[in-house]
Amino acid sequence: MDEQATATNSMTTTAITGCVISEEWFGRTVVLGASGVIDMLTSPQLEASIATSLKKNPTAIIVDLTDVDFLASAGMGVLVAARDQASPDIGFGVVASGPATSRPLKLVGLADIVGLYSTLDEARAALGE
Amino acid sequence: MAFAMTTPSYPCPDDGDRFADNGVAADARNAGRVRDEFAGWLRARVGLDDVRFSDVVLAVNEALANVAEFAYRQQHGTGTVDLEAVQDRAAATLAVTITDQGCWREPDPAKQGRARGRGIPLMRALADEVTIDTSALGTTVCLRFDNVQAIVDADAKIG
Repeated sequence: MDEQATATNSMTTTAITGCVISEEWFGRTVVLGASGVIDMLTSPQLEASIATSLKKNPTAIIVDLTDVDFLASAGMGVLVAARDQASPDIGFGVVASGPATSRPLKLVGLADIVGLYSTLDEARAALGE
Repeated sequence: MAFAMTTPSYPCPDDGDRFADNGVAADARNAGRVRDEFAGWLRARVGLDDVRFSDVVLAVNEALANVAEFAYRQQHGTGTVDLEAVQDRAAATLAVTITDQGCWREPDPAKQGRARGRGIPLMRALADEVTIDTSALGTTVCLRFDNVQAIVDADAKIG
């Protein structure tokens, strides 16, 4: 009765509390898609991924949290720091919807600071070329 | 040496209405593990909608994260954290207490960059009441959530 093997569909094996981040380019717009948990343990991963992408000179960076199940203040801090560190002429957006991600971002007043969008299409339309 | 601080003064409920994880080494990995175990108990025992469930788990996470990051900085980063959650069916409340024997202070927002320091504001936004008691023995954070209904099922009586 090995049901766990078939239940795992992601390309990377992670712990329950882990985080996986992918990078995809649409022209000069980079989309970092995160999934899993972004907390004090995993937020350095997100920070490193954003820093790596920023070095490739994107015109816009979109952090897609659609598949994130849990976002702690440590992750929010990374998003704000990234917005502050990126050059002002780089477009910046965060895609999030739902009680675990967009709700806490709004509760602490970060929606406007990081540029919150509810879908990736919406963010790309606003920030893409 | 901190017995008085680790014993919450709630009425003694049925076992199904209480979750505790005591003496856990306070670090980032354990903060996540305790959070996930608490979330499992919350899902099974407490009737919350998705928004409220997320709110409670996030508030508890922030309290655990504060201990893991700040409480034991002066003790070379080693120390423990206790978590206890008690559901009071009669009052329809859930109280979660996070206790450490370290030393931390609520940060001064004026002295921080805007990228940091959102843990306690989050707790205050998510919980109905937040109390933070600091003494020489450590710090106790108590998060209270109101209008919390217990899940009524046959299993709750077992054990």
